[in-house]
Parts: sequence; C-alpha cells; structure tokens
Amino acid sequence: MRSRTALLLVFLAAAGPALGAPKAPPAKAQPAAAAPKQGNPYRLKTGAEGKLCLDCHADFEQKLAQKSVHTPVRTRDCVGCHNPHASDHGKLLADTGGQICARCHGGMIPASAKSLHAPVSEGKCASCHAAHASNFKNNLLKGGAELCAGCHKNLVDGIVAAKVKHKPVENDCATCHEIHGSAAAPSLLKKDAPDLCVGCHRPDGAIFLKKHMNYPVGKARCTTCHDPHGSNKPGMLYDHVHPPVARGQCAQCHEPPGSPNRFKPKQAGVELCKLCHAPKIGEFTAKARVHRPVLEGDACLTCHGPHASKQAGLPRANLTVVCGECHADTIKRQKLSPAKHEPVGAGECGACHDPHSSDAPLMLTGANRIEMCGKCHDWQRHSSHPIGEKVKDPRNPNRNVDCLSCHRAHGTEYAQMLPFPTTTDLCTKCHESFKR
Amino acid sequence: MSRAIVFQSVLGLALVFGPAVGAAQAFRHQTTVYSDPKEAQLRRPEGVACGAGGAVVVADTGNARLLLYTYRDGTLSGGTQVKLAQVPYPYRVQLDPKGEVLVLDEKLRKIVRLDAKGAFLGNVDLQGAPAGVLPGSFKVDGAGNLYVLDVLGPRVLVTDAAGKVIRQLDLPREGAQFTDVAVDGGGTVYAVDAVGAAIWIADKSATAFKRLTESRKDVMSFPTYLAFHQGKLYAVDQHGGGIAILGSDGSFQGRQLALGWGPGLVYYPAQICFEPDGAVFVADRGNDRIQVFDTGR
Repeated sequence: MRSRTALLLVFLAAAGPALGAPKAPPAKAQPAAAAPKQGNPYRLKTGAEGKLCLDCHADFEQKLAQKSVHTPVRTRDCVGCHNPHASDHGKLLADTGGQICARCHGGMIPASAKSLHAPVSEGKCASCHAAHASNFKNNLLKGGAELCAGCHKNLVDGIVAAKVKHKPVENDCATCHEIHGSAAAPSLLKKDAPDLCVGCHRPDGAIFLKKHMNYPVGKARCTTCHDPHGSNKPGMLYDHVHPPVARGQCAQCHEPPGSPNRFKPKQAGVELCKLCHAPKIGEFTAKARVHRPVLEGDACLTCHGPHASKQAGLPRANLTVVCGECHADTIKRQKLSPAKHEPVGAGECGACHDPHSSDAPLMLTGANRIEMCGKCHDWQRHSSHPIGEKVKDPRNPNRNVDCLSCHRAHGTEYAQMLPFPTTTDLCTKCHESFKR
Repeated sequence: MSRAIVFQSVLGLALVFGPAVGAAQAFRHQTTVYSDPKEAQLRRPEGVACGAGGAVVVADTGNARLLLYTYRDGTLSGGTQVKLAQVPYPYRVQLDPKGEVLVLDEKLRKIVRLDAKGAFLGNVDLQGAPAGVLPGSFKVDGAGNLYVLDVLGPRVLVTDAAGKVIRQLDLPREGAQFTDVAVDGGGTVYAVDAVGAAIWIADKSATAFKRLTESRKDVMSFPTYLAFHQGKLYAVDQHGGGIAILGSDGSFQGRQLALGWGPGLVYYPAQICFEPDGAVFVADRGNDRIQVFDTGR
C-alpha cells in the first residue's frame, strides 16, 4: 500500500500544475499492463457475482440501462473493483481510484509521454469517467467540450465566443488532442505544430500561399500567429496583430519571399524595430535604467512576438511566463507564498514595473511606492499604519515607512506577504519596547 | 549556555561540515553611512569601491554624485562630494592601482575616469573594440587593465590601462544574462549569470568562458555583482538579500547577511568591496546606505 502511495506521489510530482500539460511521469510509474483477474478470491457461489450485490443495490438497474456500461458492471464483476467486506478506500474500493483502473486499463499512459493530462497522472480517472455507466461513449461523464469545460472553462468559453471558429475544435477537443497523454508533443497534441496542422491545411495550396504572401511557411510554427482554438480576427490570427502582418506587409521586416534568405529580418536586433518604433525606443533608452533585454541579444523579440499575440502589446505569452523566464526566483516566490499578489499571478507585471526602462530602481513605474500601491489598495489611504514622507522608519533613518516596509510585493513564505513569521515579529522590529 | 559550550558547538559544526562552515567569513556589522558630512542623505547608492591607502568611493546613484572617503584604523573620514555632468547616473565604481576612479554611468553607458580627487580626466575609449559595445560592468586588475563586460556581445573585453583592447573572451549567448565580471591575481576571469545563478570562468590563456558552476539557485536568487577576494568569490545576491560565498573552484562556502532594514541587514544590495584589514563595504541600495562590516582579518 505504501509503495502505491509513493507511486502516486511520484505521479503528482511529475504532473506539475493541474492545468496545462504536465511533464510525463517516470516510466516506472506506469502500469505495465492489465493485471489478470485473480479467479474467485471471495469464493462466491456460482451466479452470486453481481446478482448478489443487486439484491441491495437495486438502483443499479437504472445504471445498467444507460448507453455505456463499464464492462465489469455489465458482466456483474463487482468484486473486480470492490472488496465486499472492508477496505482502506472509499466505496469499498479494493485500491485507490487510479490503481483500480490501471488493473485493466494499463495502456492509457503512452511510454515516454511528452505531455500527460493532469487527472491521468493524478489517478483521478473519475473526474472524466463514470465508474459504472453513463450515457456518453467511453463512460464519459459528459460529452465533448462540455466535459473539458469542467476544468478548462476559460478556454472553452473563449472557443464558444470566438468570431472566427476552428471547425475541428467545434467538433471535439480530441480531434487534435490525445486525452490521456501524448508521446508526440506537448499540450497533449497528437502531433506538434506544424505537422498537426498540415494534416488538414496544405501549405503548398494556392490559397494558403496567397494568404501568406507567398512565403513558404509550411515548416513554421503556425501557433506563433494563429490561435488554434479560434479568434476574433480573420484567419484566426491572435486578437492582437502587428500592423504590418495585418496589412500583409511581410516584406517590411523580411527579405522578399523569392530571395534565398526570405525569412531573414532586414536588420538585426533592435535596429529592425527602430525602422518604425524609433521614437518609442528613444524614450526607453533616454531613461536612467534600461531593462537589459531591450538593448541586448534579440532585443524586442526577447519578450515580444513580432507577428501576433493574445495580449495587447504583443508579448510572446502571458507576462508571468515572459518575465518568469529570467525572473524565475520572483515568480517562484509568489507561487510559494500563502498570500498572492494578484498582478503577479495574473501576469500584470506592468502594473508596477515598466518592462522597458525606468528612472527608478527595480524598474518601478513610479518613484512613490505608496501612490503605486494606492492605485489598487485604496483602503491604505484612509486606514493603515502611519506611512509616508513624514513617518521615519525607526530601523533606518534614511527610509520612510511605506508599504514595502512591512510587505514584500511578490510574496513571502508567511501570511500577508510579511517578511517575518508572525505579525508580532514584524511589529517588534520597530516597536522594540513590546518585545517579549 | 556558557561560552565554552557555544565554542564547542561551533567547533563541532566546523568539524562535521568542514570547509563549508569553516571557510565562510562572518560579516559583523561595524558602522553605517547614511549621509554625507553635510547631512545630505544617501539615495539608492549602487556602488562602492575600495582602493589602496584606504580610499573608498561611493556611487550615490540617486543623488547623481560620488562621495570620496578615507578608511583608516576602522574609521571612515571625509565624504567629499563629486558631482559631474559627465556622470549623471553613477552605477558601478572601481579604483585603479594609481588611485584613479573609474565610474560606469548607467544612463550614458560609458566608463569615465576621474583622478583621486574626483576631477574628470576623460571617458575610457575602448580602442579596437567591436562596434556597438555596451558596458554592463567592469573590473580593474592590479596592473590597471580593465575587464569590461559587453552585454551586447556578450563578451568580456580586456583592455590595457589606456583602454586598448588586448583580449576578447566570448560568453555564451543562450539562456544567460551576465551582470558582472571578476578577476583574480593570476588573471583568471569569472563572470556571473544572474538568470542562471551560475559562475563562468576563463583562465589566462582562454578565448571563451566555460562553466565553473551549474545553476546555484539553491544558494542565490539573482546574483548581480561578483568580487574576488583572497581566494574566494563573493556574489552579491540582489534579490535574495545577501552575499553568497564560493571557492575559486565553484564550491559553495556559505552565505552572509540577510534581508532586512535594520543595521547589519541588507535590502537589494548592489556592490561590495574589501579593505586589506578585513573590512567589507556593502552598497545597500534598497536601504539608502553604505554598510561596513568587519571580518576580523
């Protein structure tokens, strides 16, 4: 039993966040194959299997009438999953949910999976499947996208609301996604882009080529520009499109489609962006502190997608992801913090920080931190510990008391984003006379 | 607990953990500089440099000025203000063997040379450097050679005292953001990657850096400054609020200081320098002060 629990913990550790596509668990964690049934362990009388159970569990007659009945139920093999006498698990199950299922359904997790559906890795088969019977195929609790919406509500709502819809998505999520796990691609995709996309879309087709201004994009990653779940823009481009892309002016940044280096930008790094955005870049670089990625390496493309994005301003992804690529320690601090600062979790780093440049340390958008915090936390203006320019920090004569005297904006391991374990610890740092 | 028991406990720990405990120098808070002699408060000081003869230069960044001090027998004196149009945003500061002051201005992205009294001598012109060099940090060795971190390369340009490039060391491009370099007495150059929390190394004959440590996110969050002192590397962990100490082989030796606002604690520390008598100066940027610690050497 302990080893099974450990096995499940291994699964959980490998699974990562419940949403998205967690990493595959180690191979040893996978049930190798369906275990053979162990004869008649309870020495039930002939014909007693199932029939005996139904004498009490009469409601099963209704379940048996449903469209999709689980094989052990149909064959009245109740003891295939349940121990009729006693159990360490709920509903007299003979094992944990996931392990019970794995006895027969051992091949659900592909070997060396590149992505795994969180409920599968967590052994929560019952979050999608009815154990006994349902009116949907494969004993699913609901049909199609309605089932997926249980966890992926925002995504499914977005699909429903999109003006330009992707037909396969409307049909069934399973058109593109492997439901349990994918050995081929991340995000449970049956194949990675563009291989998955070219299964339906011929990149050498005349219309396709015309739409892409004759650039041979058949090997490009379609999802850098297109939202595979549908969008509000023609061609299912992400909702925020770089104007030259929207106008079909690819050659504004790239060499012409017929040239040998057709995908090469006309200029390297920030110089390309300066062709249009010189005034803006000039504003950035005029400030005292310029965010390093603005100046070095791929410059703007370090954080921005040049074609289209889900977010305004064309960041490559949600800012929690983009900023977290360099500032992993900061994002991690928030994740581990019992109190969450909403902008960090929501990817609104720009609420406090200017991602390009600033005259203030830490790339803050304003010099006055109380004013900055006050944009969201207006209660602190009328009800708080004394703060502001007239309130000196007893610990340091050069500092006034402000919000960051007691809180760390990205969270701490303690409550209320405090830097100390208890409120008493915090208060007595300044109010020393109250120390016990 | 009696002193004898405490001593025995410490000795026991040292024996059990060996160099990891024994090698790290304890930083004991000695004094704090909050303002200049005219009581003008420091504001976001980003830099502090120690030189021969007890010279100490503070880059009082938020006030767009430098402060020149002398440190002798555990006492800091002076505090002359130097305010120059050529240095509107002093960021990193170093003293060369002649006592001249080298300042990297963050806003102008230039290295400026001043004499020991703070008079402007000129910009350091990196002769023979590739086009578009962007200095992110720099160090000076005992011969006055400069080691300039070019963040655009990314690379380290080694120049003679006059600024002529004599060597170029490439840094890896992918997945790293180098924030500082350090050099030891033998000419070995170290570079710190803040994003990866790793140290890279290039010996005297190398043309490129190689990895000295894997990611040490376990002991430092976001190291932005690196100093080499008496066989050890001191990485200023700006986000983690402390100093991570590593051996020249990359082995972790310990951590000093912790996040806080009171004396002896640091809040987004920026630069560190060492005096021969064992005093350590820390530019405690987030706390608007310079702190002096004693290591007992």
